[in-house]
Amino acid sequence: MVAKTGKKTLKSLRKLTDMQISFCGSAGDGTIAAGDIFKRAMAAAGYQIIAFDVYPPEIRGFGKCIARTRVTYDQVYSLKPESDVLLSLNDAHAIPHVGEVCDYGAVIYDDSPIANIEEGCHMSAHLKPAQLPYGVSFREISERATSSARSRNIVAVGFIAGLYGLPREVFHSTIAAKFANKPRSVTEINLKAFDLGYEQGVETFKIDTCYFAPPPKRDKNTKVLMMHGNAAVARGCIDAGIKNFFGYPITPATSIMEILATEMPKHGGRLLQTEDEISAIAGIIGAGFAGSRAATSTSGPGLALMSEMMGFGAMTEVPCVIFVSQRGGPSTGMPTKTEQSDLNLAVLGVAGDAQRIVLAPTNVEGCYKCAGMAFELSEKFQTPVIVLIDLYLSNRYEAVTLSRKSLFKSDNSKWAKKPSKREPFNRYKLTSDSISPRAIPGQQDCQHVITGLEHNEQGRPSDQPEMHETMSRKRHIKLQAAIDYPNLAACKRFGDMGKVRIGILSWGSTFGECLEAMFTTRKRGITCSAMKVVMLSPLPVDAIVKFMADCDEVIVVELNYEGQFANLVMGAVGRPVHRLNRVTGMPMAVDEIIAAISDLTANPSAARTAAQ
Amino acid sequence: MKQSRRYAIIGSGAAGTEAACQLRNHDPDSVITVVTTSKLQFIDRYDLPRVFDGVDDWRELLVHPPEFYHDNKITVRRNTWVSSVNTRENKLNFRHKETMVYDKLLVASGGGGHIPEGLREFSAYLNPFTTFQNAVRLRDSLGKQGKVVMLGGDMVGLDLARSLTAAGHQVTIFANETLFWPHEIKQADIAQYVKALEAMGIKVVFGRKPVAVEQISRPSKGTSYSRRLVFEKGKPELANAIMPFYGLMPALNFMMGTGVDIERGLLVNPHLKTTNDKIWAAGDVCQIWSPEDNRYNFFYGWANVKKMGLIAAHNMTGGSTEMKTSQTNKLKITKNGVLHSPYWEHD
Ligand SMILES: Cc1cc2nc3c(=O)[nH]c(=O)nc-3n(C[C@H](O)[C@H](O)[C@H](O)COP(=O)(O)OP(=O)(O)OC[C@H]3O[C@@H](n4cnc5c(N)ncnc54)[C@H](O)[C@@H]3O)c2cc1C
Repeated sequence: MVAKTGKKTLKSLRKLTDMQISFCGSAGDGTIAAGDIFKRAMAAAGYQIIAFDVYPPEIRGFGKCIARTRVTYDQVYSLKPESDVLLSLNDAHAIPHVGEVCDYGAVIYDDSPIANIEEGCHMSAHLKPAQLPYGVSFREISERATSSARSRNIVAVGFIAGLYGLPREVFHSTIAAKFANKPRSVTEINLKAFDLGYEQGVETFKIDTCYFAPPPKRDKNTKVLMMHGNAAVARGCIDAGIKNFFGYPITPATSIMEILATEMPKHGGRLLQTEDEISAIAGIIGAGFAGSRAATSTSGPGLALMSEMMGFGAMTEVPCVIFVSQRGGPSTGMPTKTEQSDLNLAVLGVAGDAQRIVLAPTNVEGCYKCAGMAFELSEKFQTPVIVLIDLYLSNRYEAVTLSRKSLFKSDNSKWAKKPSKREPFNRYKLTSDSISPRAIPGQQDCQHVITGLEHNEQGRPSDQPEMHETMSRKRHIKLQAAIDYPNLAACKRFGDMGKVRIGILSWGSTFGECLEAMFTTRKRGITCSAMKVVMLSPLPVDAIVKFMADCDEVIVVELNYEGQFANLVMGAVGRPVHRLNRVTGMPMAVDEIIAAISDLTANPSAARTAAQ
Repeated sequence: MKQSRRYAIIGSGAAGTEAACQLRNHDPDSVITVVTTSKLQFIDRYDLPRVFDGVDDWRELLVHPPEFYHDNKITVRRNTWVSSVNTRENKLNFRHKETMVYDKLLVASGGGGHIPEGLREFSAYLNPFTTFQNAVRLRDSLGKQGKVVMLGGDMVGLDLARSLTAAGHQVTIFANETLFWPHEIKQADIAQYVKALEAMGIKVVFGRKPVAVEQISRPSKGTSYSRRLVFEKGKPELANAIMPFYGLMPALNFMMGTGVDIERGLLVNPHLKTTNDKIWAAGDVCQIWSPEDNRYNFFYGWANVKKMGLIAAHNMTGGSTEMKTSQTNKLKITKNGVLHSPYWEHD
């Protein structure tokens, strides 16, 4: 029997802009470039942006690339599970993603393929009944504009801009900026390709329900920049006055180093590519010892190599900053996929009792702040500071609103005063806050040695039992004050305050998804709070205990298999939590968090048993 | 394992969609694929004039909601053009260079508005009325009280003309012998039907032959007319939209060279089977053998077309039903003095 399905009344309510566009193609199709132009133009037009690209480890010719951009009026915290528009530059790669397009959203594809296609291999065979098809001859239009098919991606961007009535000028200036370093003819042909695509879009009758409403008006005292997490880290370094960078490239951290390589010389800094990660960290410890603001960047495998020298930094109490962008592990793992599985290594992974400060920003703006603050903290507390991000945050683009003046102190050290004759300079002097006065080598009357051996106040080797106890305590106690360091929230609670049914505890890049899940949960009438923990070490235990006491159920959401943060929290707080762990190499899906919360509210005890 | 039968249907109009539903009833495990040039699922064309009543959202015109196709496992390949049919290998060739295999094929590709050769070069300035997009563009070009000029006139055009006048627009038909197509009207009766049309507010002009359509890029003060219709003789006519209605021309270019018999439409027997064993046809595209008239006839209109879809599906799944080919679809004048055609009726 033919199934009867009731007719729905389907009126779309015009609201503020919230559009997610996905470009999907093969490496070499210009997919990422198309997404890049689109998101930059949208940020320049004044919208809020959050964007994330997924690409294969290979360079060109194989592998799938997806560039997703969410364009909104208000700030949002994660990509949506469904896109409004999917643009296919390669159907073989894009077809598996058709299901991600919302009902009455648009699927745009090339309908003039060059070669014969096997049955079922064209996009038009895969649309869901409520999705709307737009077949466009990208290749032909590109050939008309540029005598080659290479600008298909730019035609595609033009088509979307024309179809949705987006301002042509911002795209023109974005394209011009993108190709500024190429011969002028490259810009010209791409502008032509864009324009032809744009005109095609304008002429096309729009049947989907997606739309862009005007963007918000901006505050003139702030500047909005479109950047990814790694660029924000690099900018934070520059604004904090970084002087030396030693590093060894590794995905997904490499672009931090690349950006700094061009930016640091303009600001009086120097960057050196070392032969490996061990040299890199040794370099920054040397620079820190000499009083310079210094940093390195790496990923999990590099951090593993650095762990010995991190212990040295903790023991010698030398300021230095290490940016770590996590990827799928262990070992070489999945270099172009995201994961949050280096928490244990960052927080605990060093020989001996070598506590250090670990910060985990949750969004791109946070990357900027944590990067700058890391220098302040490492100087203030004389210790290595790790800023722990991941591929998702490294590559995720957001429109970031920055104040026009730098937020960071240019010098945050407790410098040694000239010691009196009676009292010689003690580099590791025991003080009320356990932070000793610092001096740089060669400073008059402050001669001292540093060593990886346990030492006394002067820095002379000592293996006396009391000395090791005293110094171990000193190195740990001094860090506790970092939790209350001004202008840096070690953790922060969002959503309902007071007693709540559900508490979501999370860290790093996953927190955006948790926030979105929290908003949805509250809309469903369930009281809910989400807490982000930015300082993973030392852990703001009191605040976490207080938060958990307010929640009937607490769920810890993170992208690793073992539940590394959940273990850390349970160890510190002593109360069981529910866990949501995923290791798909992809960001956590908001829907999965919502589903886990629904399970929890439906059957808390069963969920807890399963979770423990 | 037994392989499911693959049914392909060209066309998602009343005939094709009805056939798809019936095929699902008769052969629950089959694979049913409807191929259509339309970007939207089946919209009732008779409902298109509702855009003049302010319907802005095409979803209100859908005959079945999207879930219907999902629930009934009917794949509708929209925005897809069949460019040819390979009857040797039982394959459809699509314009985008994909092929699709079928076990049985139903051609229900309907008909497009016929435009006389002399006017074809002006098609860019003519307003068709076959899709939602056409309807919206027409409405937008008319404004509050627009002027529409219709050429030829046929029952499709007259159906639209009555909706336009009801919506406050002005309609003038420069008529020819297709005015009441497909009704066959005796010369002596024409005057009374024209009178009925005029009672409906539709102006009918005979004897003027249009030769060109021009775009007016800068309308003169106080008018919004963007089109100029030039005649063989006499003053041109200005309007917001010019629409050709010279009867329907079956859409079957893709069937050329297949060996299937074609006259004006695809020729089928009363079981709606073509001269190819695996191909049936239904709707405006086919001419059915009428033993009563001893010739192949078209059977237009909603009721006929839907019936054809139903019969074709039945016969494709082993049934043996014949289309009733003795029909009298008479044009009438109602008590109120207005025209009524059975072709205008639909559910
Ligand atoms: C606005 C309007 C009003 C009408 N009013 C009347 C009326 O009052 N009285 C009357 O008698 N008739 C009227 N008609 C005619 C009416 O359309 C038909 O009788 C009936 O609806 C035809 O149904 P169908 O399924 O045969 O074809 P159609 O509804 O024409 O559907 C044809 C389908 O075939 C598809 N198609 C065509 N070529 C290809 C190809 N190469 N590849 C893939 N798909 C293809 C099209 O996309 C479409 O989906 C009207 C038509 C229109 C447009």
